Amino acid sequence: MTHRFRMSLLATGAAAVLALAACSSSGGKQSEEESTNAGTADTPRMTIAFITHSAPGDTFWDLVRKGAEDAAKKDNVDLQYQADPDGPGQANLVQSAVDKKVDGIAVTLAKPDAMKANVTKAAQAGVPVVALNGGIDAWQGMGVLGYFGQDERIAGRAAGQKLASDGAQKALCVIHEQGNVGLEARCDGAKESFPNIEKIYVTGTDMPGVQAAVTSKLQQDKAIDRVLTLGAPFAMASVQSIKDASSQAKVATFDTNKELVGAIKSGQVMWAVDQQPYLQGYLAVDSLWLYKTNGNTIGGGQATLTGPAFIDSGNVASVEQYANNGKR
Amino acid sequence: MTAILSLSNVGKSYGNVHALRDVSLSVRQGEVTCVLGDNGAGKSTLIKIVSGLHPHSAGEVSLDGSPVSFGSPRDAQAAGIATVYQDLALAPLMSVWRNFFLGNELRSGLLRMLDIASMKRICAAELSKMGIVIPDLERPVASLSGGQRQCVAIARAIYFGARVIILDEPTAALGVKQSGLVLRYVVKARDAGLGVIFITHNPHHAYLVGNHFVILKLGRVVLDAHRDSLTLDRLAAEMAGGEELAELSHELRGVDAGKVVPPASPS
Amino acid sequence: MSTVEELAARDDRVAGRPLAARVLSRPEVGSLVAAVVIFLLFMAVAEPFRNVANVGTILYGASTIGMMAVPVALLMIGGEFDLSAGVAVTTAGLSGSLLAWNFGLNVWVGVLFSLVLAVAIGAFNGWLLLRTGLPSFLVTLGTFFVLQGVNLGVTRIATGNVASAGINDMDGFASAHAVFGSEVTIGPINLKITVLYWVLLTLIAAYVLLRTRIGNWIFAVGGDAGAARAVGVPVRATKVGLFMAVGFCAWLSGMHLLFQFNTVQSGEGVGKEFIFIIAAVIGGCLLTGGYGSVVGASIGALIFGMTQLGINYAGWNPDWFRTFLGVMLLLATIVNLYVKRRADLR
Repeated sequence: MTHRFRMSLLATGAAAVLALAACSSSGGKQSEEESTNAGTADTPRMTIAFITHSAPGDTFWDLVRKGAEDAAKKDNVDLQYQADPDGPGQANLVQSAVDKKVDGIAVTLAKPDAMKANVTKAAQAGVPVVALNGGIDAWQGMGVLGYFGQDERIAGRAAGQKLASDGAQKALCVIHEQGNVGLEARCDGAKESFPNIEKIYVTGTDMPGVQAAVTSKLQQDKAIDRVLTLGAPFAMASVQSIKDASSQAKVATFDTNKELVGAIKSGQVMWAVDQQPYLQGYLAVDSLWLYKTNGNTIGGGQATLTGPAFIDSGNVASVEQYANNGKR
Repeated sequence: MTAILSLSNVGKSYGNVHALRDVSLSVRQGEVTCVLGDNGAGKSTLIKIVSGLHPHSAGEVSLDGSPVSFGSPRDAQAAGIATVYQDLALAPLMSVWRNFFLGNELRSGLLRMLDIASMKRICAAELSKMGIVIPDLERPVASLSGGQRQCVAIARAIYFGARVIILDEPTAALGVKQSGLVLRYVVKARDAGLGVIFITHNPHHAYLVGNHFVILKLGRVVLDAHRDSLTLDRLAAEMAGGEELAELSHELRGVDAGKVVPPASPS
Repeated sequence: MSTVEELAARDDRVAGRPLAARVLSRPEVGSLVAAVVIFLLFMAVAEPFRNVANVGTILYGASTIGMMAVPVALLMIGGEFDLSAGVAVTTAGLSGSLLAWNFGLNVWVGVLFSLVLAVAIGAFNGWLLLRTGLPSFLVTLGTFFVLQGVNLGVTRIATGNVASAGINDMDGFASAHAVFGSEVTIGPINLKITVLYWVLLTLIAAYVLLRTRIGNWIFAVGGDAGAARAVGVPVRATKVGLFMAVGFCAWLSGMHLLFQFNTVQSGEGVGKEFIFIIAAVIGGCLLTGGYGSVVGASIGALIFGMTQLGINYAGWNPDWFRTFLGVMLLLATIVNLYVKRRADLR
């Protein structure tokens, strides 16, 4: 066995030597830009817990987190990012943040019933709490100072309107996580303004499975001429599906990432509904800093909507440079 | 006749537990050497040393007169020592022929493919030589009777050139008929010119086929006798513990068996 | 030689089994029956299922499962589980991508690095298993969690994101895409290269299992490791080799994931390990080892592919997708068991 290990070590070494002589002439990390830093506030250092329901490995949350981190850097804040996709687990994270006596909590309320008790307790304990991304119907009853996000149903409705104005006939709404209320609301919202929509459920953690499922649906129903995905990676997989199924359908999506912005630019994807996740993270942290240093609140008791905004061929060029920084 | 395999003053200790002390034993061609002993007497330790699973820690094991120490079961097999274990002789879900050639597969051709036809043919021939009839060699071994399984294992050891074959309690889990079947093959193996080490705790089975008898107790040899100088009664008595048995029977004399279970009275 | 038949004729206690019974006692027969039933069901209810052009889609869905179900079946026949097989695919894809991207290397360097890493992970699983004597269920459960964390952590350190960066603008991508992500069109059928890999892996693994010495050893170490060791089968090497085979196939699947989609999400692959195991079990592999079939596992993957896509083709209410999938799998396994019992009784 040790012999085998030695062999694999040897192979690793060989690969490293090979690597020196095998540099890529294009692409890679070096060709990406360095991000710029804003100035830093001289207010006392404070600690903010940032608690989301993100599943590990979802690119959307990268953008939220980057916004939060940028605001934290500017505001001299020690940001503690934590996540648990499981409702009670996330609620526990809120409780532990209160126990640690943090100066503020930013929290997503995707599962409001599970979160309500602990969030209310935190607010009563005098810890300022803001909500973001999920829970637009529930945050006001919990003593939360403000909400930053988009109304998924409104965003869905906007997407439906755009489908209708594009002249689409029938759309497929790809739900990549069965039982996720926010995703259902997007599809249902789109259905309100564009009734001819059919849902399909796929497993988001299995990309080849997503591709095959969308392909089969397109083969089954030739009338489908739009695929509406609810996350950027699934839009990219659907582009492949359309090719495989020799379908004439076009892809539109919710949410963006760097690859998707490129795909809009090259025309593979028509448009994306952008809820500006970077802004959600940034505003959540910044609003807590404002509250702590100046007593300000944002939104006047109403939700502050960060979306829906659209990215399409008209404005993609301006978004692209920010996407390359990983912030759109 | 000289011994193929001989042990002189062999001992084995695990930490400070002496599982085996000063055991001497020799196995000759065409002879059945029976090793008897109660549970925990050191029988399985002895097998492990001879079959190459554990090294011995004292004394000398010699093969054809020169000292050896087996590093693995493969070494022991290469030296012509085959072990047939009571329960782990064969893989139950594999077919008879696959089991027969397990670890010694015949291969042919450029791709070193298994030579299935030859293996089946040889397997059938070897089994029929031993008088075992298994019509479908593709049948899993689990569908054979316990005796048949032991016999397949013995036939396998003989075919693969074993000079010494160690049988670990081959009759322990079997009924009277099946035991008879196995004992018949023990004799066949002996007649085929092998040295047989027959491990058992049944003196009756041992006396039916044995040439030489060794009794182990608490890791030591307490009896080492040739058949000529031994009767079945003495072997049984020695095996049952000699003095200990006498003591036990003295103790039990006070208990009237008839009192414990009253005879059923006709009504 | 006719001794077998002669002896059989002489001894009438154990009758020779008729050919039909012998065929029916093959481990993959149950899954074949189930596959035919499911095929006929969807043929009857789903119009697009009947369209020859859609065969490619079904085979693609089956192939991505089958490429892993084959080595997982071998491993299960060898008496072990690998719960890390699903995330190991993601690890393979990520490692190749990140190495090439981070250092600006030709992507083939990443491909080779990933191969070494994936096989090393398999070897580590096997080594740890034999070293500690713990059940493989626990050891690979540990690896499963470790890899899940490493996938996420390393990706974030390297890219600042949770998905690997796109590498389609780098040297060697085109040729690597041709090897791992290309497709051919035969008549109306569009076939992905994974289908070829799947068929090749199935044929090679079936050949190794049934026609080589190593195959005999795999059955033996799974059926009775003690008996195998006693007759000189290298039990440790066989088991470690099986884990490395899983690693190799994880690499192949990971490379497809990478070059088909250009980026790899670091959270992918969780839950797929059970799909692989289920495909193997449908195909007749015993959970306890020592018995099973590679061809059966591939048929199991095909059943999965047909069911997954057949529901879409039939246009059924997708709310019940998973329920239907579960019922299908149970039925397949029950048919499998039933056929096997009937065959054993004859």
